[in-house]
Amino acid sequence: MIIRDLLAVATGNLWRMKLRAFLTISGVVIAIAAFVAMLSFGAGMQKNIAEQFNELGLFSTIQIYPRGARAANHTDKAAVLDDHAVAAIAALPGVQLAYPFDEFSVTVTVADTQITTEAQPLPTVATRTKAFSRLLAGKSLSSDSTHEALVTEEFMQMLKINDPDSLLGRQLIVSVKVSSLDSAVARVPQSMVETIDERAREIRFDSLRNKHYLERIVRRELQIAMSGFVDGFMNARATVSDTLNICGVLEGRHGGPLRIKPVVFPIRTGKRFSSAGYSGDPIDMFTSLNSGTLFASSGDTTGKSYPKVTLNLDQYADYESVSDTIEALGYRTFSFAKEFKEIRRFFIYFDLALAVIGLIALITASLGIVNTMIMSIIERTREIGVLKSLGADERDIRVLFLVESGLIGAIGAIFGILLGWTISRVASAIARIIMERREIPDMDLFTMPPWLVLTAFLFAVAVSLAAGYYPASRAARVDPVEALHTE
Amino acid sequence: MDTPWIQTHDLCRYYRRGPQQVRAVDGVNLSIDRGEFLGIVGASGSGKSTILNLLAGLDSPTSGSIDFEGVPLGSLNRRQLAAYRAHRVGMIFQSFNLLGHHTALGNVELALYFNDTPHRERTRLAAETLKRLGLGDRLDHRPGDLSGGEQQRVAIARALVKRPEILFADEPTGNLDHENTRQIAELLTDLNRQGLTVVMVTHDLDLARQCTQRMIRMHYGRLAAPKDPAFGGGTAS
Repeated sequence: MIIRDLLAVATGNLWRMKLRAFLTISGVVIAIAAFVAMLSFGAGMQKNIAEQFNELGLFSTIQIYPRGARAANHTDKAAVLDDHAVAAIAALPGVQLAYPFDEFSVTVTVADTQITTEAQPLPTVATRTKAFSRLLAGKSLSSDSTHEALVTEEFMQMLKINDPDSLLGRQLIVSVKVSSLDSAVARVPQSMVETIDERAREIRFDSLRNKHYLERIVRRELQIAMSGFVDGFMNARATVSDTLNICGVLEGRHGGPLRIKPVVFPIRTGKRFSSAGYSGDPIDMFTSLNSGTLFASSGDTTGKSYPKVTLNLDQYADYESVSDTIEALGYRTFSFAKEFKEIRRFFIYFDLALAVIGLIALITASLGIVNTMIMSIIERTREIGVLKSLGADERDIRVLFLVESGLIGAIGAIFGILLGWTISRVASAIARIIMERREIPDMDLFTMPPWLVLTAFLFAVAVSLAAGYYPASRAARVDPVEALHTE
Repeated sequence: MDTPWIQTHDLCRYYRRGPQQVRAVDGVNLSIDRGEFLGIVGASGSGKSTILNLLAGLDSPTSGSIDFEGVPLGSLNRRQLAAYRAHRVGMIFQSFNLLGHHTALGNVELALYFNDTPHRERTRLAAETLKRLGLGDRLDHRPGDLSGGEQQRVAIARALVKRPEILFADEPTGNLDHENTRQIAELLTDLNRQGLTVVMVTHDLDLARQCTQRMIRMHYGRLAAPKDPAFGGGTAS
């Protein structure tokens, strides 16, 4: 029998037992709908993450962090992320751009409003990368030495401004409080000398033989000295200001590894603040102090170390080999592509878990197919005998019954995919309403890529064929002589 | 001496029914010539239908063999045996064995599904055959809408549409009234006159005498010694 005849006969047979076929197909429809809806949720999640990564250019981004002195396995000091290191990293093969991350706690004055926020300097080339290129208004920084600044949506919200265009061209006075080493050190010798003088008078000559006593005195004096240093460092701060014009408003980004500070200014402004003194957090100060880079030399920033450097790779660069090279230099790296690989691995397990649930539903439906087909054989025993008497061989009968069960699977798959798609659309619409109410950025939680449709279809047909195999083989083995005498 | 067209050699077919062995066909030697009309008569359970099923390739002998044009059917594989049924053999039954969900045309077409007849040809050939048997106005009728005689004629059309070399008729008039029996008998005789070899199993001696050229009688699975001068050709083993 040719496939056209097989399909015609199989369709005719299913049509004859409409109600039973409908109920059996319904089981497949429900199973496939569940399978499709669940996997389209998994695919949708994966797509959203991939899109976000792609949108920000994260697949070609690596972030570099300095290692602690111990972790770096360096006996002298840890590998430092200073300007020399940034330049060396930028020169590595496959690296398109390397720029350090720096941040300042700033006071910003716009017209009569003054707010305290955070700011970061960026090289102009970095502002043109995907991560910083989504502008609500205006344009990006024109050069590294320009008197321009970019602000974010978050900044607008701080100023309670809704129209980003209204900010363009407005003057921004950015002020940073900096501490100088001189002011800190100035507090130390005096107190230290005074204390040691006082103590010296108290120390008897013979007590100097006692090593522990001496150590205790020295430790205590150092504590007092450090306290004086910190006190001097934090309380003797000078204010450095720069006046900039707002040239563009960046789309806000809430959290995440590439969170943009509310104010972005050019490198020139950053250097100016850095060279004026230490402007960071006191805790970070100790980290810098530990690495020996707090103030490499007074008045310039060549020795300044950064907490993080961001790398943009060439399109075809291998992130793994670049990461390895950088790690060999003594740094810690974080690659988004590698992270995404982990996420994808998670999604494979996630999809598998969803597929197993769908499979269980489909296996349940396949029992219905087995039942329907066996009932069909019992009812059509005489027909099988007639077909065999007319020249059908075992293969013809087996294929005929397999086509019937395959057809149940195929029809079930088509309607199941349509139902699954409808469910996913409805669920997506409901999710959107909820996200809108909670002010979560709009995204489609479900997606139905062609591979999913094809997989669901083939899966349903394959399971149906497997379910129909036993009944079909049983039908093929029917003895035609007995079958022809069946009432 | 010419080799018979179809010949059986010590043909046996035994069944097991519970602890007992039933010898449905027990050592039958029989020959059939091309173009003849052979009648196989006997009481119910004498093995006449079994021998017909064996000759038609629907059943396999327990021992012995059937040679068709010198080729033992036992040497054919399942596919070849199916092809033998599809191309060379036509069968009709007492209970017609028409498929109730198909029309008369559909039932007849069904016989052409397995002998490689192209789709378009199938409908034409089936309609032609039904018209030849006087059922031109019954093409779209389902078996349930036809009389017994008409149903048997549809069954004969189904057997003839593939132009078989031999027609095996198993009690073809068993379910028919006198008039329909007469019509079917005439039809089978006509077909035989046109050159079709017919082997008919019946318990109706009158019908057998009326139609056949030669009769054999089965008795408990064996060919019986001829009691009637009309009997002949068969050799009791």
